[in-house]
Amino acid sequence: MLSRSEVLAWLAQYPKFEDTILSLPYAPRMPRAMVKETQEVIAVARRFNREVARKLALPLDRKTHEDHDYMPWDLVEEANRWGFYTMWIPKLFGGKGYNMPSMSHFVEEVGSVCLGIANVIGVHYLGVAGVISSGNVRLSRRIMADVAEGERTGRPCLIALAITEPTAGTDVEEVELEDKGKVTCHARRVEGGYIVNGTKVFISMGHMSTWTILFAFTDLKKPSESSVAFMVKTGMKGFSLGTHENKMGQRACPASVLTFEECFIPDELVVFDADMARKITNKPLRDVNQRYIDYVVSATRPGVCAFGTGAARGAYEAALRYASTTQVNGRLLINNEWVQCLLAEMYKNVALGRLAYMEANYANSHRGMYQMLQVKPLYYYYKYMPESYFTNVVGSLLEKEYMSTLMGRVNFDWARSSDQNCCSGWGSLAKFAGTDIGVRNCQMALELMGASGLRQDAGVEKILRDAKLLQIYEGTNQLNRLNLFKCLIAPAVAQAKCFEE
Amino acid sequence: MLSAFRKDLLPLAELAQSFAAKELVKKVEEHDRYPFGKFFDNVLDKAYDVGFLGVMLPEDMGGIGGGIGALCVILQAVCRADASLGGIIFANALSQQILRAAGADKTARRIFPKAASARDLLVACPAYIDPSQVSALPREARSGKDYVLSGTMELVVLGSLAQRALIPARIGTCGPYSFFLVDLKAKGVSRSEPVFTLGLHACPAVDITLDTVKAQLIGEAGKGREYFTPASRAMHIAAAAMNAGIMKGSLTEALAYAKERQQGGCEIINWSEVSMLLATMGIKSHVAELCVAQACQAFEADPRRWGLHGLAAALHVHELACEAVTDGIQVLGGNGYMKDYGQEKRYRDARQVQALLGTAPLKKIGLTRELSGLEEACAYAL
Repeated sequence: MLSRSEVLAWLAQYPKFEDTILSLPYAPRMPRAMVKETQEVIAVARRFNREVARKLALPLDRKTHEDHDYMPWDLVEEANRWGFYTMWIPKLFGGKGYNMPSMSHFVEEVGSVCLGIANVIGVHYLGVAGVISSGNVRLSRRIMADVAEGERTGRPCLIALAITEPTAGTDVEEVELEDKGKVTCHARRVEGGYIVNGTKVFISMGHMSTWTILFAFTDLKKPSESSVAFMVKTGMKGFSLGTHENKMGQRACPASVLTFEECFIPDELVVFDADMARKITNKPLRDVNQRYIDYVVSATRPGVCAFGTGAARGAYEAALRYASTTQVNGRLLINNEWVQCLLAEMYKNVALGRLAYMEANYANSHRGMYQMLQVKPLYYYYKYMPESYFTNVVGSLLEKEYMSTLMGRVNFDWARSSDQNCCSGWGSLAKFAGTDIGVRNCQMALELMGASGLRQDAGVEKILRDAKLLQIYEGTNQLNRLNLFKCLIAPAVAQAKCFEE
Repeated sequence: MLSAFRKDLLPLAELAQSFAAKELVKKVEEHDRYPFGKFFDNVLDKAYDVGFLGVMLPEDMGGIGGGIGALCVILQAVCRADASLGGIIFANALSQQILRAAGADKTARRIFPKAASARDLLVACPAYIDPSQVSALPREARSGKDYVLSGTMELVVLGSLAQRALIPARIGTCGPYSFFLVDLKAKGVSRSEPVFTLGLHACPAVDITLDTVKAQLIGEAGKGREYFTPASRAMHIAAAAMNAGIMKGSLTEALAYAKERQQGGCEIINWSEVSMLLATMGIKSHVAELCVAQACQAFEADPRRWGLHGLAAALHVHELACEAVTDGIQVLGGNGYMKDYGQEKRYRDARQVQALLGTAPLKKIGLTRELSGLEEACAYAL
């Protein structure tokens, strides 16, 4: 009926086929072994839930209410024993190299039991993504080697990410807002490195991490063009941990205040700065910084959707148990049609959340941060070559400066802006879709369960408390809606302006 | 709002507002630490002193003889600051209303006028249930002329504070139930530690286990539902007033924060999406106030005719509240999620209040069943 060129022309019209139906073209390109690998990840998560998470979730939540200063070191050590902190680090960097999309399924599983425990594991990979997406291969290998060593020795080495400031939350996630905002974390260039002053807040696992990837700015009036990323180690001179927040939920995962006072950070711990950017691309620094932010959040926001899906599922499962065991007027609740419809609605929410994060992960796998890992030949190469090969043969190659330059070019110079928009837009779509349904299902479960749902020892009220945070972190859902508009709608509307209100 | 239409309620509204400002506002987070922190006995005693624990009791029973309007203006003002005290006032008023609906005035006169302290006055009850919706009520049995109760009643509100509780019980697992007054210090009564719940932390509830405990029948045997229904008709409106107060607190804090907090170079209230969130909260809060005010007026005019409308208003207000307090956190972003601000508590408290007097879906099912009968009543009245 139509020639191939005609078909392509029609598909290129807005909404573009390549941006709207991701699983159809990309699922067949997925290496088949990823399916078995993902099944294994889900099975491991379920076993972890039975042996660890279910037993800890409620007592840990209660314990943190009784003693605000309690830190869940035992849990972190347990997760470390299970190998979760290297599971999704690529083999190139010394990890086990499980495919990145499988982590979303993992956090959905663990999150369905406890979002706090899931975040104690998952937020480490926010730090990992922050380091690796910089393209700084040398430093990525050094830090990831510490994580792997921590697993071998039984002394967990986690990575936190510090970007939010007391007066700048949303502003630091979007370069269009950065220059208008009030950032205060300053980096001053000195001989051999930088000196940093400032405060970071709401840093998940800050107190329990060995390394933190820290974002500061050399020009506080032009942060969009002066961003610097550093690795800072807990205990470094000038870097101190303040209090940790008294949160409503996700209390197993502390949120910390980090303070930097004349903290000297040597050049060797600079992950990314303007000098590095200029070596790999001629693009404006502002665009490079947005690209860097987008790499990280495009990868992590589908993960937050998976957390939301986990919350929705935990609430659904609690409601199902209650309806299956509770009688009203001599009749089991589950045998009422209104209850069956309510449960169907909750089930639908879980399914839609899962589909949303999977679509976003297809974008990342084929047009974003993971594409170098998911292409079939490379995937099998990484999967079946022994670890020693990567340590002994590839490792020395990766230490070369030109490898960092090459990776930097791949990430920041050669990448298409349409791919950036697709990954970032879908990441945001998944994020606010999944987290909204998480809270929605909790509300439905609570309404069904009434008094029984109010008790902390019944579990469901904790999911409601935990889930609310998902609508806030990794960019508020409002910011994510605006980002979706910017990435997926505005490109087709010439007169549309974003963040200029 | 109600006091704007009803000038007679103005002094009570002002008293409640000044009480909340003086005794509650600055210590919300401290009071909310219970059961892991201290209980606010001093605040409870002061609430007793000003008469908040006997608003709807007749004066000859030691109360102030107010109607549902009086109770609602107090609950709205108190819950705007801290809904936990509102929960205590509510649960105690519910017990009083059930006693009165059962015609147990003699018993009421034995308890309330002679109470020398707040704790003396309190009568605990399972305020989160409609007993007719619950299969697992304690079992009642006869022992000679006396009744004895056995079994467990979960979440008996004020059970750790009061000396007596109003407990529903029945002979089997379904069918009619009766109300009994139980001395909580009697042999065979055991009380759990305060249950750690979603919200209203300082309005303690305990699980009470009864082992053949002698109890006083309230009203007639098997007529619990006939007493609970009229009492709950008024108390549904009272619960709605609690959530209207919580919403107003959430809106006030969100507006204040949005005028101060800057993002992208200006106060966030100037960002139209934030403005839209605030407007949506404002609409819900104002609609809730109107619902409560009108429901009180109508109920006081004719409780039999307008009682069901009060329930409908309450169900609507609870839904609005749960949505509004969620947005209330969102306006404050990460700060809204922290206990340093009041929003996270309101997010929890609104859901806890929604659960008062039974689950929302079963209330709706019950409403449907009553609607046809109501239609007839309305047609007759018109």
